[in-house]
Amino acid sequence: MANKKARGPDKAKTNTDNIVVKKQEDAPDIVKQPPVFTDDSRYLCIASGRQVGIYSIQSGDKVHCLKKHSFDIIGLGIKEENVLYSCDTSGDVIEWDIKDGKLLKKTSVAVDGMKKFCSFYYPGNGMFLLSTPSKNTNGSSLWIVNSTSEREIFSEDIRKEPQSVAFGCDQGNGSLVIGALNYQCNGVLVKDMNSGAEKKHMTDKRKFTCIALHKEKLIMATGDISGRILLWHDFVNQIRPVKTVYHWHTLAVSSVCFSSEGEYLYSGGSEKVMVKWRLEGKHRQFLPRMGSTIKFIVNAPDNICVATSHSDNAIRIIDSTNKINQAIFGGLIKHDPIRGLEDGESKKESVMPTGLVFDPRTQGIFFNSQAGFLQLFDPLRGSMIFNMDIANRNVLTDERNTIIGNAEVLRVAVSPTGEWLATLEVWSNMSAGYHDMNLKFWRYDAVQANYELNTDVTMPHHDRITSLAFQPGLLGTEYPCLVSIGRDLKFKIWRLVDDTDIYRQKESWTCDVAGDFRKMMPTAASFSEDGSLLAIAFQDTVTLWDPMTINLNTTLSHNLIEESIELMEFGRDQCFRYLVCASKSSLFAWDVISKGLVWKVGKLRSPIRCLVPDPKSSYMAVVLQNSEVFVFAPSSSKPVHTITNVKSSEPIAALFVPRPNPLANSPEWLVNSRLLIVDDQQEFYSVDDNSVCGFDEKLTTPISHIDSLPWTPFSAIKAQKQISAAKQIVPVIHQTNGIKGYKSVQSLLETSTSTLPPMSRICNSFMIDLMIKHDTKLMTVKADSENGATNDLPTLMNGHIESKMPALKEEATQQKLLTLDCQWITKN
Amino acid sequence: MASFKKTQIRSLPKIGQKVTADTLYWRKLNFPVTVKEFGPIDYIDVMPIEPYFIAVSSAAKVQIYNPITHQVHRHFTRFKEAAYGASIRSDGKLVVAGCDEGHIKLFDIGSKSLLRIFKGHKGPVHRCKFTADNVHVVSFSDDKSVALWDLPSETEIIKFSEHSDYVRAGCVSSISSDLFLSGSFDHTVKLYDARSPTGSTISVDHGSPVESVLMYPGNSIFVSVGGTELRVWDMLAGGRLLARVSQHHKTITCLHLASDGKRLVTGGLDRHAKIYDVQSYQVVHTLDFPSPVLSLGITPDDFTVVAGMANGLISMQHRQTPAEARALIPKQSLKDQKKSQTTYRFRLNADFRNVNRTFNPATDVEVATKNDNSLVSRYDMFLRKFQYSKALDTVLGKYIRKKKPAITVGVMHELIRRNGLKSALAGRDDSSLSIILTFLARNINDPSHSKIIIQVANTLLDVYENSCLTPQSEKLFLHLQEHVNREVEYMKHLMEIEGMLHILLASTTTQTRRGPVNIGQGPPVKVMLPSAAAAANATMVYNVG
Repeated sequence: MANKKARGPDKAKTNTDNIVVKKQEDAPDIVKQPPVFTDDSRYLCIASGRQVGIYSIQSGDKVHCLKKHSFDIIGLGIKEENVLYSCDTSGDVIEWDIKDGKLLKKTSVAVDGMKKFCSFYYPGNGMFLLSTPSKNTNGSSLWIVNSTSEREIFSEDIRKEPQSVAFGCDQGNGSLVIGALNYQCNGVLVKDMNSGAEKKHMTDKRKFTCIALHKEKLIMATGDISGRILLWHDFVNQIRPVKTVYHWHTLAVSSVCFSSEGEYLYSGGSEKVMVKWRLEGKHRQFLPRMGSTIKFIVNAPDNICVATSHSDNAIRIIDSTNKINQAIFGGLIKHDPIRGLEDGESKKESVMPTGLVFDPRTQGIFFNSQAGFLQLFDPLRGSMIFNMDIANRNVLTDERNTIIGNAEVLRVAVSPTGEWLATLEVWSNMSAGYHDMNLKFWRYDAVQANYELNTDVTMPHHDRITSLAFQPGLLGTEYPCLVSIGRDLKFKIWRLVDDTDIYRQKESWTCDVAGDFRKMMPTAASFSEDGSLLAIAFQDTVTLWDPMTINLNTTLSHNLIEESIELMEFGRDQCFRYLVCASKSSLFAWDVISKGLVWKVGKLRSPIRCLVPDPKSSYMAVVLQNSEVFVFAPSSSKPVHTITNVKSSEPIAALFVPRPNPLANSPEWLVNSRLLIVDDQQEFYSVDDNSVCGFDEKLTTPISHIDSLPWTPFSAIKAQKQISAAKQIVPVIHQTNGIKGYKSVQSLLETSTSTLPPMSRICNSFMIDLMIKHDTKLMTVKADSENGATNDLPTLMNGHIESKMPALKEEATQQKLLTLDCQWITKN
Repeated sequence: MASFKKTQIRSLPKIGQKVTADTLYWRKLNFPVTVKEFGPIDYIDVMPIEPYFIAVSSAAKVQIYNPITHQVHRHFTRFKEAAYGASIRSDGKLVVAGCDEGHIKLFDIGSKSLLRIFKGHKGPVHRCKFTADNVHVVSFSDDKSVALWDLPSETEIIKFSEHSDYVRAGCVSSISSDLFLSGSFDHTVKLYDARSPTGSTISVDHGSPVESVLMYPGNSIFVSVGGTELRVWDMLAGGRLLARVSQHHKTITCLHLASDGKRLVTGGLDRHAKIYDVQSYQVVHTLDFPSPVLSLGITPDDFTVVAGMANGLISMQHRQTPAEARALIPKQSLKDQKKSQTTYRFRLNADFRNVNRTFNPATDVEVATKNDNSLVSRYDMFLRKFQYSKALDTVLGKYIRKKKPAITVGVMHELIRRNGLKSALAGRDDSSLSIILTFLARNINDPSHSKIIIQVANTLLDVYENSCLTPQSEKLFLHLQEHVNREVEYMKHLMEIEGMLHILLASTTTQTRRGPVNIGQGPPVKVMLPSAAAAANATMVYNVG
């Protein structure tokens, strides 16, 4: 251990400057801005982050990806046929050719005093509408900018949202009416650009949320927070225009949109229902259960279809028969934060309660998608693998004054082989004091390539389960085991059992053991890497259990530790003996073999959010609430690397993701994996070496290489070679602390010295008792090839040294080894 | 977008007999044909070859039945007193039977003639068997002896007198002509080898008088029954006990193999016949009979099951032929007929309808759910339209609330989730309120539903707290309260008993336990203080012990 500790940081110092934090752009947010249809209604232009995607409506595929902006895009507009305007926050306006995706022209509208913009509209005639954020309020100022860069202010008090500005009403005479919603005084501001007539309409106290103007006719629609839609007629000239009320929505209307002939009106909101109103006769059609809240509705110029943007980061295209035709997904689905949780819950519980869970089968990450769903995301390709319905319930929407919660997936655990998936779904109604909890076990069916529900446990604990963990190191031969801890002060061990039936078809999970410890709240649970030890933290005390018999081995507590332990992880690899625990503001490590506190770091600048071990090395990372990241080896408190420049708002989860190929010439903790961090906006950040360029190129090369190989006899031979060269999984077996050879030590100590046979006689068998019984053949080969100095030791000695006691490597003589071993055991 | 998902109805799996392949197989036996004899049916033997005649020994005669026509094919009455244990030779030509006077009589089935009389036993002979070579007979007698006889010469070859009580059970090996087993009322089962005349080779203690023994075809395992126990012994390991099974609650009287030796059947005085799997010795099915079963016979093709009972009844059951099965369920057959009449085109269409239409290659990232919209229940329709009161009314219909309370509770659960329970319960008139109250009172004790029912009852109390109630409703509310009180009382009792058990368990396991954890399923670790009554009871137990 000692020389390891010395080596680690040295190597890391070589090129730490290269480590950078990048925002992952593979999974962009495509619903920040409303999409724009091209004039021929064949393509849809979608702004996502710094790029514009052109999607075909027929197939839903991406045709072009326009990447020239260096800031986030704030608006799109169609100039003429096949020419697209896009504008970013710095005021750069780019003209694109949609057909071939080329940049035509780049101009800037930014001048002194106007540097930052928040939205962009293009009404036509070379005139732009730009809004800049207000200095003192949360609203914005709307500017009319002509092609000759003349600027004219429209209003200084406009809402920021993209759906609060509309334009249109060209009644065949080229006139243009601009309508905008006020931010503070709750009214609609309309202005006829030709005549200059300006009116401000107000109704009652209900706040407007969205506005739409028809392209040609002089009609305007507004939606408000009570769900009412008002249709305004002749609103430019009249002081009190005639209004028609359309009221179906119970929640706020988030978007309204006219059909191009002006016969229909589309509206949507958080009911997840799109309503299609026929303006004459008030007949309406519904498209219910759209999946998630509608943010924007955009109509195609020739009335062929409507595109709706949803809060789950998807755009759905609905044809004229009110059916969903296509869906465009922006990489990964965003989870709507859970509302109505108890006080004192961290943001993670609301935004991404499952955190990031690595799936060893697909190398993907499990985390929340819509309420009651779970998605598997491939971080290498930046795409979603699948989205899985866990709860299988209808998604319920709120009522006007009450929040109605949905069943949410709160915890996920994946078995070490990836065969089993355990999910915890919780639905609670705090006002009624009622909650449901289901623990579900899913088995991956390789034939159907799908997860099948195996066991559904209703109310597995009496109160909320706080953690789930599968026992690692089983290699799929034994029956797997899961531990769950809950707020009902209990921990439970779940095991897969063969339901004794002569037909031998049934396997299901059942609770094997339920236990508690001194009526203390269990707060964290972790298995050692080889699965031979289970650690459960009860507030400030750590207890170590034997997972097979559930006997309490040891209790670890210390005066220095007063706070409740919130996160706990066993070290991996060479640091297997260290148990790293994190409380709110301190970090410390226990040595589970010597049973002592190794180190403690207290009074951190900010609360600890995540503690993640690297599965491929012995390092761990700790992420603080203020976005600081420390990478350290559990053997020492000194961080190997510190990252302070993560520009995320508040990290909620992190994970080490293994690389397909090791990265040479980088710090040791980055060789085999990189760190992913998610913030509360559900944006992904990757901590990686600078030399690694885009994720796409790196990964797609080897795959396309295999795919493109022609089928030749040679390629067949090659494939065979690859199989035979596959690395065999070698079971990781540690020395279990204190149990190994316990009996022989006991007998040695209990027998009176006068009756003991001579030491030389019993030494051999005593030593063998202390050894881990490895496959001796394998061990000799390994030892011979690695360490020539230890060749004179017996075979089992080599095996012993191999089994992760590097400190003993120097001791070459048998005598010394024996004394050392005895001391080590008697200490326990 | 996504289709409406049906309300989840949670019902616990029924405890009791599960439908398995075995239950279906044994349930296919027809209604029994019964024949009344004068005395109890002592023994039934089935001819091992077609036409599977059945030899029944009862009172002073042996009758050979035809299993298809249920008629007596032959009967042998040349016995002075009772005849016992008639057994047919494997070629189906001869039958041998013991009798009260200690003789063993050999008959020809074809000519009905008495061919041999073996004399030598001093007590009644209850069982006799042909050996595998077909030229010897083994007899088991009440004079505590077992004898081997030669057929052609009519002489006794060897006699073992090792038992100390009546020998009432015996069987021979099906592959070796020298091996045979005897079971006696002295609790022992002995294995003899005719080649070693010195005595038995294996002797095992069954623990109670042995009523019947059986050797598996492979000659490696034998089974003995007696008392309420079935014991399985390993012959090759010198009589090691392999299994003890006790499924009957009265004496087991007979044993038989079925389904090509894959199932074992035992009949007992408790009027049941249990069918076991021979690997795990788990009961896979139980057959019921009207009176205590004394003997069993099953044809090798499992087609006929014959049971002889203590009151002299013989019940013969046939397996249903497919035609019979169809005739029994006329509805299903009609449906089948219709299906077979439909034209090819229509059936093709029907198949297309089942194809999951929502699958779309462009959106396949979403898991395609089962799109089974064929039947939307009424309550789901109302839930879909947010008509909560109507949905609740639907599931409070007489049939659903009485026969399928899980559905009612499932809809109530969904209403709780949707926050619609209050509005669904409010504003009800006397009659519908009484239906709800009766339903609640009836189901509040059911542990699988109680959580939701309690929530509903609380909401109901909230809603009708301040309203004026008719005397009838008031009475029902009081009735509900009474139910709750009774349940609370009951729980208290149970907890007292639990406390007593804890003391007993703790006193037995304190030495072996380490650490503060309770191992095993059972009640989790809960240090429960016993109530005064429990403590008093516990000390009493200690005093007795």
